[in-house]
Amino acid sequence: MTDAAGTNPAWALLAPVVLGLLALAAAALNGILVARAEGRTLRSGAAAPVFEVARLMRQRRRTTVAADVLLWRIGCSGLVVVALLKTAVIPVGPWVLADIPVAIVWFNAMDVMVWAVVWLIGWGANSAYSLIGGYRFLAQAVSYELPLMFALVTPAVAAHSLRVSDVIAAQQELWFIVWMPVAFVVFCLSVVAFSSWGPFATAASGDIAGGILTEVSGVDRLLILAGRYALLTTGAAFAVALFLGGGAGPLLPDWLWTLVKTLLLLAAFVVVRHRLPEVRPDRLAEVAWMIVLPVVLLQTLIVSIVVAVRG
Amino acid sequence: MGLRASIALGAVQSIHVLVVEVPGWGATRMRVEAELARRGWTAARSPADADVLLVCGVPGKKLESVCARIWSQLPGPRARVAVHNASDVASGLEKAAAELLDEGRQQGDARTRSHQPVEASDEIEHVGHGGSEESAEHSKPMDMDMDAEMDMSMDMDMPMPGGIPLASGGPDRDGLEMDVLHVALGPVLPHWPAGLVVHCALQGDVIVSAEPDVLPAALQPNNDGPIGNNSRSAHDERRSTVARLSDAAVQVLALAGWSYAAGRARRIRDEVAAGTALVDVAADLDSLARSVSRSWLLRWALNGITVGDAFANTGEGAGRHEPETVRGRLIGWLDEARRIARYNTEAYESPDNPELQRSLLDAIPQLLSGTDVATARLIVASLAIQTAQIAQAREPRT
Repeated sequence: MTDAAGTNPAWALLAPVVLGLLALAAAALNGILVARAEGRTLRSGAAAPVFEVARLMRQRRRTTVAADVLLWRIGCSGLVVVALLKTAVIPVGPWVLADIPVAIVWFNAMDVMVWAVVWLIGWGANSAYSLIGGYRFLAQAVSYELPLMFALVTPAVAAHSLRVSDVIAAQQELWFIVWMPVAFVVFCLSVVAFSSWGPFATAASGDIAGGILTEVSGVDRLLILAGRYALLTTGAAFAVALFLGGGAGPLLPDWLWTLVKTLLLLAAFVVVRHRLPEVRPDRLAEVAWMIVLPVVLLQTLIVSIVVAVRG
Repeated sequence: MGLRASIALGAVQSIHVLVVEVPGWGATRMRVEAELARRGWTAARSPADADVLLVCGVPGKKLESVCARIWSQLPGPRARVAVHNASDVASGLEKAAAELLDEGRQQGDARTRSHQPVEASDEIEHVGHGGSEESAEHSKPMDMDMDAEMDMSMDMDMPMPGGIPLASGGPDRDGLEMDVLHVALGPVLPHWPAGLVVHCALQGDVIVSAEPDVLPAALQPNNDGPIGNNSRSAHDERRSTVARLSDAAVQVLALAGWSYAAGRARRIRDEVAAGTALVDVAADLDSLARSVSRSWLLRWALNGITVGDAFANTGEGAGRHEPETVRGRLIGWLDEARRIARYNTEAYESPDNPELQRSLLDAIPQLLSGTDVATARLIVASLAIQTAQIAQAREPRT
């Protein structure tokens, strides 16, 4: 992008590394929480993701009878790709890969791609449990997607722009979380939902033998698990840009504030998993459509009125 | 080589173990789970997820052939262990880890095994399933625990990708036509009663019909399990009741996706099994029971899921008009465990009742029909069927 002052070619190489490290930190925190719950040392928990990567690198991938191999493999690798494409529009301090004028729409388009990707994972294996996992994800997606869209629209309305750098600039005086808390909460819940995480992990839950994960092993499983953490991470980073003032903060430089805020929000997402029961998609649908959607619409309306009155 | 060896060493720090419980070996399975948690290993959810297949107990012929199929589905490197006794658990797991590290052995295994997914074979006959002669099992994927064959009433002229006939349709609960898929839930599924198989016809994830069966053990455990030991003191009886009730709670909480509470219940269960005094776990049980009964999210998630009148004729349900709920069962177990631990009271409901267990099994078709798989799993877990007694009670007759 010619108009993006902060575009730096080195960042193109660095961004995936930063994304990977943040995702690894999330996995380590998850390992620590599991270890604490099981009464083991916290250190063994922090190392758990490294061991798990080693295990999955050593494990063979497998296929099933009459699997739709091409679509299945596309699905398995898709989550990581989607997360990487999302990082393209997320500014970290002065650096951003593409400060495009429709960045918020880009982010939304990417999380709609998650629908297809998760469905392909569930479909491709030709297995009943995987398929049920796919159904569950789609049913859940129908519940979270519209509230998510309105949650994304709200900061854009306030900033008069779909460009992320404009949204951050518009928060110079007041972070958007302060006067659009509903949109923030809905956005965060949607991030947890499109990452199939915690209370919204029914697509990959134990009652259907791991659902979309039932038949995948080795590197395919590694890509899916890494993709889930990467999606959580990009979601947290985008929430920081949209609602938490981006890199704004005292003393520390912009980029460090962005990372610190992202890590804190990411940690909150990880902790949620260990506190709450799962919400089944059929139960979620009712609440999402009857309560959450009207409330987030009201939020957008209030913000729009404020913006209109102030001109 | 150095890199490969260090990856292998890292890999065996977090081994995933697929545990198959043979009816009657519940205590061994609990011991395995406790040992896995202690080592930081994980219970696998499916064969694809597993490095080790661990069979607790001596499976009967049918269950044995299921185990053989599951073994063929482990991606590898893989190891298979049989444990017949709670005291063998630690050594069995050690052996499995050593086997996984043995490069030569794993490479030999990889060379000799087929790289194609195993096609449906006739190893498993279809118990309680009519017309299985052309059951082109859609296996591989599902048969880990189940063999799903597409609807059998179909025409053989239809295209058969991978030898699997396409599903044929049937009217669903909304009166629309929808594909019918035949899937057997169990016998190897996380948080599922040992040896239980429920042959289901599925439309989407809604169960249209369900037919339960139990795959028995080849012999009875001698010193494990809820039965087979009559010389236990009343004190031991109370301990095993608390362990059994907490284990039942673990299954329901885990299926409700509340891993934190399930983990707490599991820790209490393992402490009791390991010999901690009952009074020492009473406080933990109190606080667990409190947080379970207070969780509004759990209340909402389990709202309206009932076990019908399955318990109407037992002491527990007698005189009640409302059907018992899954949440009510769960809270009931925790309360009972709490009472026994704190006040040394006797168990309320004796599990040693083959008649009751049999009637619970018979209630499954009616309870499950029309529910989705998630609800069905919760209902089955809340019945807490002691499959060992059904298998045992039936054995003499066959």
